Order: sequence, then C-alpha cells, then structure tokens
Amino acid sequence: MKKVSIIGGGNVGSSTALYLAEKRIADIHLIDVIEGLAEGKALDAEEAAPIRHYDIELRGSTDFSNLKDSDVVVITAGIARQPGMSRDDLLNTNARIIKSVSEKTAYYTPNAIIIMVTNPLDVMTYLALKVTGFALKRVIGMAGILDSIRFRYFVAQKLGIAINDTTAMVLGGHGDSMVPLPRYSTVAGIPITELLSSDEIDQIIERTRKGGAEIVGYLKTGSAYYAPAASVAEMVECIIRDKRRIRPCSTYLRGEYGINGIFVGVPVMLGKNGVEQIIELELIPEEKEALHKSASDVKTVIEALENQNII
Amino acid sequence: MKKVSIIGAGNVGANAAFYIGEKNFADVMMIDSVEGRAKGKALDLMEAAPARVYEAKIDGSDNIEDIAGSEVVVITAGHVRKPHMSRLDLLESNAKLIDPIIGQIKKYTPDAIIINITEPVDALTWYILKKGSFDPKKVIGMTGVLDTTRLREFISKELQVSTANTTAIVIGGHHDYMVIIPRYATVEGIPITQLLPKEKIDALIKRTREAGSEILSYLKTATAHYAPAAAIAEIVEAIVKDSKRVLCVSTCLLDEYDIKDLCLGVPVIIGAKGVEKVIKLLLTLEEKQQFDESVAVIRSAVETLEL
Repeated sequence: MKKVSIIGGGNVGSSTALYLAEKRIADIHLIDVIEGLAEGKALDAEEAAPIRHYDIELRGSTDFSNLKDSDVVVITAGIARQPGMSRDDLLNTNARIIKSVSEKTAYYTPNAIIIMVTNPLDVMTYLALKVTGFALKRVIGMAGILDSIRFRYFVAQKLGIAINDTTAMVLGGHGDSMVPLPRYSTVAGIPITELLSSDEIDQIIERTRKGGAEIVGYLKTGSAYYAPAASVAEMVECIIRDKRRIRPCSTYLRGEYGINGIFVGVPVMLGKNGVEQIIELELIPEEKEALHKSASDVKTVIEALENQNII
Repeated sequence: MKKVSIIGAGNVGANAAFYIGEKNFADVMMIDSVEGRAKGKALDLMEAAPARVYEAKIDGSDNIEDIAGSEVVVITAGHVRKPHMSRLDLLESNAKLIDPIIGQIKKYTPDAIIINITEPVDALTWYILKKGSFDPKKVIGMTGVLDTTRLREFISKELQVSTANTTAIVIGGHHDYMVIIPRYATVEGIPITQLLPKEKIDALIKRTREAGSEILSYLKTATAHYAPAAAIAEIVEAIVKDSKRVLCVSTCLLDEYDIKDLCLGVPVIIGAKGVEKVIKLLLTLEEKQQFDESVAVIRSAVETLEL
C-alpha cells in the first residue's frame, strides 16, 4: 500500500484523510503540532472502519519523522481565513509555517510529491519548491480543481442536470483573480456558452470567484473544507493510481502561456510522477490578458515575501 | 426498490442485468421465450450476490406477464447480424419479432419507459412508439450512449488520459450513419481538435463507426455485449435515479433540428420521466449536411414499415 501524509489535522486535513480512506487509496498519516489532535482524529476514523470497510492504515501523530517513505505529502498547515480577512492577510504567518514544514518534508521524505493547500496557494507552492529544491513536477498546488468543481456544481444546478455530465476549466491564481473559461466548460462536451445566456454565465463566474467567501459567510468561525478536501483527495488519487487525469492545478511555468518562473493554475495531466504534462490551451487575447493579470498578482506577493527575506 | 424488466436474456440482456445488480439500483426481471434461459441466468447471478453484496433481486421468467409493474422495460429481443450483414437487413424480421412484445408491454405495464436496443435501433424505436401509441418521451433507443463510450475509450487510449476525463457527442442514426462532431468531443472540456491532428481524429471516428463490426469480426458468432449492456445500464440508472443525465439516445424528434416524427440520436436530458428535454446543438453547415444524410437513411427505412 502506498503512503500519504497529511500535515495539518484541521478540517481540511482530516476530511481529506476520510475521503482517501473511504476510497482505500493509501495508508494515511496525519500530522499536527497540537498534541493529541491528529492522534484523536485518526483513531476516531479508524474506529469507523469496521462498518465503512476500509482496509488501509490511518494513524496520527505530532512527530514529523513519521513522514518517512511517503509517496505524497499534503500540506494543509496554517491558520484559516477569518471573516473579512483576505487571503493575502494570511501571508506572513502561513509563510513561516510552510517554510518549516517544507524543510521537514525534504528531510524526512525527499522523494515525495507535495500537494500544497495552504493559502495564498500559488505563493505557498512557490515557497515549498524553493525550500525543498524538489523537481518542478513534484510540487503542485490545489486550486483550480476546487474552483472548477464549485463552478460545475453551479452549472448543474442552473441547468437542472447531473453534476457528472459537467466539466469546467478555471485557470489563473487561486483567489479573486481566477480565470474561469466558459467556452472550455461543458455539459457532456457541449460548451456552456451554447446552453446558458452570458448573464447567467457571469453570475456563475461571480459566485465561483466568491465561493470560498460564501462558505465563510455562513460558517463565520471557519472556512470551507469538504469541497477543498475532495479536491485534494482527487489529486492524491490521480497520483497514487497513476490516473493521468487532466485537471487545473497550480504548477510552475517555464514559458508556457508566456509566463515564466511562478506557479499559476493551468490544466495539467496528473499521474504517478506528479505533473506529467502541462496542457497549453488556445486562448483568445482577453483570456490571455486575464491569466497574465492573475500571474502578476501572484508575482507581487512573492516579491513582498522576498523583501522580508522569508523566501 | 424499482423494477426493471429486460426482454431477451441473451448476452446483452443478461449483462445489463449483471451491471444493474452490481450497482444495486433496481430489481431486475429477465424474460426470455426460450424456457429456462432467463430463469437459469438470473439464478446464476443471484448465487453470486452474497459475494458481490447485491441488495437488488434478479429474477427470470418465460412468462411475459411478469413484466407487470415495471418502471423500465428494455427490449433486447431480436436477431443479431451475421458477419457481412447490414443492420438494416434485420429491419423486417425484427419488426415482426417485436410486434407481439409491443402489445404485451401496452397490456401489462403501460406506463413503463421503454428502452429499445433491437436493430436497426432508430427505425424500430419509431416502430415501437407508433405501434403502441406511447408517449414519445417514454420510448428511447440506445444508440449514442454506446457510440460515445466507445469513442471516449479510443480518445483516452490515443492521448493516454483517463477515460473519466473524456466526453463525446454522437448524433444521427446508429452505427454506419452516426455523426461524430469532434469539436464536442473533449478531454476535460478541451476539444480534441486542439489535442490531436485531423488524421488521428478521422481514424478514431472511423474506428468508432465500425466498432460493432470490429467486435463481431473477433467473436464471429456473437456481437458485442459488454459495452452495449453498460450503455443500457447507464440509461436505466439515469431514469431510476432521476439523475438528469445528458446522454445521446435515439428519441422521436417533434420539430427539433427541423425534423418531424422520426427517431434519431441527439443529446437529451434523461430523468424519471424519460426524455425530459432535447438539447439543441448549434450545428455547422457541414455537420447539418451529415446529419441530414443520416436522417434520409432512417426515413427511407421507416417508410418500408407497415403500422
């Protein structure tokens, strides 16, 4: 059995563990610095195994040496966004946390693939790459999958059709500057531009853009974790089972889409080596411009961290 | 548990029962006029149930009255092609063969949704609809779901991507007359026209068009039955679970695509009421022309049928 370690035993980390266990994808080790948190959640989930029929091992600890021999390390560590807080406000605190857990990952399990979940996503993924020195294809950020599944849910609801028949493509940085591409978003292959009016599509884009904030608005003291965890579990499954699925993920670009040296969400093929291939879509000038704007937002934040010598 | 009857317990019928059992979403009654055949296959399947954890019941009978109370009736009865035969060659003999079945459905389970797979599918789906004076929403021909699942498999093999990532739309008549629109065939929404050169796409289309014959040429004495049965199970599941799937099936067009009163493959929304909506695609002139050629073939086949 392959091994997946999840750093951060909060709601996203533990829900990811649960989704992975339900599909029996790998043995799981959950790590959290708070004494007892990861152990307690892992034990609770293991005690459900007899009726949920998992045959995988699910453990928790505070000890980073348990990262050893992981095939995939999911990093969800960090503080969550509070109501009214922008993703970028989280920057400094989370950057220090990510720097530390990336160092530990590189030390204990140097051959793992890293999936970054902590926000601001595209920046934290960059930080993890710099700290670990891992191959580019082995450091991936979870962003576009979450945005695209939210988009798909809204499209399915609007049209009254099965969610399984929808596809969606959301590029760009995770956050307010995401770039949803309606003509690459389909119902059974039929672009939604043929099925919905441009007003309806604009509403769906707007709701997707604010999808995270909508959930925070309801929960008040927490942020979304089911859909984010489902997105992470999907990435892990693609890698562990070498599924070669094409999914929008944050990946390091070297000239693709005319962008160089940063992480931005674009469609990639996910397989056993991590990012197996970057897919370059044909974009119209307007879409390209939105993607570049998104990339420049990511660059600004990276520069801010560099100025403070965090990177 | 809802009830699905499958008329014809040959390879396609029995495998459809098998797929439905594996997914546990309906009880199945298989009917076959050959004494013992449906009963024997159903019993064999149920004896696998403890190991495969079915909760649904699968039963078999040679008495067609046992279709009573079905939500869905699948018609898989009929002659199949021998090598070098065209599906249209089966029209007259299969129309004769399913004629009594239409009356029996009308008598024993008049409100059921009918899924026809007896060849030639488009013409016989129309025949069933007219002969039984059924609600057009409730008579569905299994065509494009099979053609698209085959095309999706070929696309995923060609590009080395997961099949779950692919979509495809196939319209028009079944098999030789199908119209495949590459710009609607996607990998995660990305049209294959951006991912494959034209020659490769043409080869995939050709292989899909001839996919039934490819299997027949291997099996010699039998036609494909796994993929067709999977396609049936997919439609049945969408009806039973009212899941509003967007699937390509043969349905009676009532002016959509400027076609009146003819069963043809188009994308539709499938739910508890059967075909709940026909989705109208924006076809280019060239696509429309191909579609019209397909229409003409089905139209002339239908005209030979006596109601």
